[in-house]
Amino acid sequence: MLRFEKRESTPASLKFLVPTISIIVGLLIGAIAILFKGINPIHVYRALVIGAFSSKYTFSETLVAATPLILIASGLILVFKMNFWNIGAYGQYIIGAIFSSYFAIFWSSSIPKPIMLAIMVIAGMAGGAIWAIIPALLKAYWEVNEVISTLLLNYIALFILKFFMYGTWRDPLSHGFPLSKPFPDNAQLPRMVSNTRVNIGLIFGIIAVIIIWIILKKTKFGYEIRVIGENSRAAHYAGINVARNIVVAMAISGALAGLAGMVQVSGIIHFLQIEINPGYGYTAIIVAWLAYLDPIAASFVAVLLGGLASGGYQIQITMHVPFGIVNVIESSILFVLIGSEIFMKYRVHLEQKRKKIMSDAKIGGE
Amino acid sequence: MEEIVLQAKNITKRFPGVLANDHINFNLRKGEIHTLLGENGAGKSTLVNIFDGIYYPNEGEIYINGKKANIRSPFDSMRYGIGMIHQHFMLVDTLTVLENIVLGLKDQKFIIDKKEVADKILEISDKYHFDLKPHTKIWQLSVGEQQRVEIVKMLFRGAKILILDEPTAVLTPQEAEALFDILKQMKNEGKSIIFISHKLNEVMEISDRITVLRKGKLIGTVNKDEISPSELAKMMVGREVLFRLHRKPMEQGKEVLKVENVEAFNDRGIKVLDEIGFTVHRGEIFGLAGIAGNGQKELAQVITGLRKSTGGTVYLNGKDITNKHPLHITNSGANYIPPDRLKVGLIPNLSSIENAILRIYRREPIGRRSFVDYKKAREFTENLIERYNIMVPRIEAPVKLLSGGNMQKLLLAREITENPSLLIAVHPTRGLDVGATEFIRKKLLEVRDMGMAVLLISEDLDEILMISDRIGVIYEGRITGIVNAKDADVHKIGLLMTGATEETVAAN
Repeated sequence: MLRFEKRESTPASLKFLVPTISIIVGLLIGAIAILFKGINPIHVYRALVIGAFSSKYTFSETLVAATPLILIASGLILVFKMNFWNIGAYGQYIIGAIFSSYFAIFWSSSIPKPIMLAIMVIAGMAGGAIWAIIPALLKAYWEVNEVISTLLLNYIALFILKFFMYGTWRDPLSHGFPLSKPFPDNAQLPRMVSNTRVNIGLIFGIIAVIIIWIILKKTKFGYEIRVIGENSRAAHYAGINVARNIVVAMAISGALAGLAGMVQVSGIIHFLQIEINPGYGYTAIIVAWLAYLDPIAASFVAVLLGGLASGGYQIQITMHVPFGIVNVIESSILFVLIGSEIFMKYRVHLEQKRKKIMSDAKIGGE
Repeated sequence: MEEIVLQAKNITKRFPGVLANDHINFNLRKGEIHTLLGENGAGKSTLVNIFDGIYYPNEGEIYINGKKANIRSPFDSMRYGIGMIHQHFMLVDTLTVLENIVLGLKDQKFIIDKKEVADKILEISDKYHFDLKPHTKIWQLSVGEQQRVEIVKMLFRGAKILILDEPTAVLTPQEAEALFDILKQMKNEGKSIIFISHKLNEVMEISDRITVLRKGKLIGTVNKDEISPSELAKMMVGREVLFRLHRKPMEQGKEVLKVENVEAFNDRGIKVLDEIGFTVHRGEIFGLAGIAGNGQKELAQVITGLRKSTGGTVYLNGKDITNKHPLHITNSGANYIPPDRLKVGLIPNLSSIENAILRIYRREPIGRRSFVDYKKAREFTENLIERYNIMVPRIEAPVKLLSGGNMQKLLLAREITENPSLLIAVHPTRGLDVGATEFIRKKLLEVRDMGMAVLLISEDLDEILMISDRIGVIYEGRITGIVNAKDADVHKIGLLMTGATEETVAAN
């Protein structure tokens, strides 16, 4: 029989060990899935690492995948710190992409590029923020469970996107495919390295990490977020406006997810379509947790998981291993990581069966 | 000699740092109502939790019907025919009465014969005129009805010994009367009942015998017919010579806090403050004595803005602060030591620094525009730690690693360092060791000498007598009397605490 004893504090070694083991277990489970394809998992993983980190181009693709993860994860960290479980970055990302695309599709291509891009950045952030404020208000004033509301809003966002893509925003020249017309040059984020897709979005990500770090470590707002997250009754007692903080933090979190959506359509895809990789919104949850809600650690974890994604595309092409393997690995990592919570909070002992103790006691007692 | 159904011999239970039960002897006869009486922390609940198998004693033995019993879990206790009704009901709100009653029963088939169970529930229910409907959901029932479900649950399981842990604490007076009728009926049918309470009037109404505990020790077991309420109060509160702290005579100053006809409801929607009124002056400690659950907690919450009052007015320094935002009230000069330091007053996982600045992080010099100056915050905290002699492992360590006494010192330091005009301290020394207790009491006297008004709310009557200048007694949300501490009479206060009015006390 297992017996759990509460820990006073979590040892630092465990904080490193648990994510490492989570990643290893995730890879092992992925390996089992690969074996079903009749391929040697070691070869696949080697190809995956090569595909993610070996050359300038492959590494640039890793950074391309890491960019939205960094943006979204830094925003998630802010709300996760206050125990607000925003599962809706997926939808906030989509709405951000839709808002910014509107200007790229319908406004004149002769607007100066900096002005156009500034408008698109603001629109993307506003879209994400609006989509995040809805569940925040529901939670703050009517105590609606945010996990459910943010999750359901993801589907609504996806169907809004489909509505536009199959409807009025479809390009007449797309031969019936659900695509918008290509973005004109003034609506495309400038690339930073030639012959790669790495763009200014990465700088946005780095700025976001720094801002979130400053908010958490230096500001009254960050202090209040910690107090609310750790003990909301103490926050009420100290007169902290919990409802307002939830709304503001969610607005920031949603704005960053919306910006990630804008970066994806404006910096990578260059038109709006149904498949714009909103799954980054879920992967970013894993990034935030693996980094223990530290924004700087999160940017490194984002590169790691970005590598998994870009390497995943490579193995799909070179070894005919489906990209779904990457999703299996990612999900397994999160599963093990969350499951390991119990080892962080409790010490586990193996104990003799209770019946035995009872019979011993009887003998002793009589 | 009557038949003894349950006997406890030399029961001792230790918790880290606390001796909750110290060689307690207790016996329960068939067909009697035996009350366990004592103040909070006297060890009543610990003792009955041992009977129910929730705790296992460090020493001592329990005999059921004369045979030694080894009770290791509530399942075991059920086998011995013991059923306990906890103060907080063990019911699942969203399930029906029937589902709650069969929940956890071991001998049920995989598919429950609902008809059979429902019939049996109705049979028990009718016998005691409960009028329970087996298919009603728990959340639709009043608290009194939920308690009846608990009783039926225990009878359904064949309990012959019923333990009720402060069953009237959550009931209205009418519901309590109805409960007493039920208990008397069960007694006449040969069931044995252990009843826990600290309300003397109830105890006198319902008990056959009374066992008094105080601070984990057995004070004595008496027959109800051979004792008076005031004698019981004496046993319960204790008559040791009170250790008095040295203090200067009071110079009563101007009025700081005035509470006028305040009304409020508790979380369950029961009215717990009923036109309460009193004043606290500059340079005095006003002690509010009373038994737990008579509205003390809610009173402190209403004054500090954490609970809405439904009537009456609260004045702080002459200004109306009724139902103002907690921040407004703090900024007007009222600070608060809440009863539960780990749940409300402190943030266990944050550092001493982050806990110390909770009141002042918004203001200069620690708060500057949107930022917190953590360097200044650290200096401020180091200063507090030194001045109040707080022992911390590291200043960055989470406060949950501090001892209870040091946590409370930090909390007190934070609340008084800004020199508020009013300090509300609720159970400021509960659970603390002797040294920390004395430190906190001395500090309260010190701030009083400096001119602060202190409202001390405590269930520890010794504490109230020791440091208060005036003592008010609260009972069922009203002040039953206010006396000067100098000529305070413990027995009189004890009676006021249990609902007697000043007139009836005078008549005694």
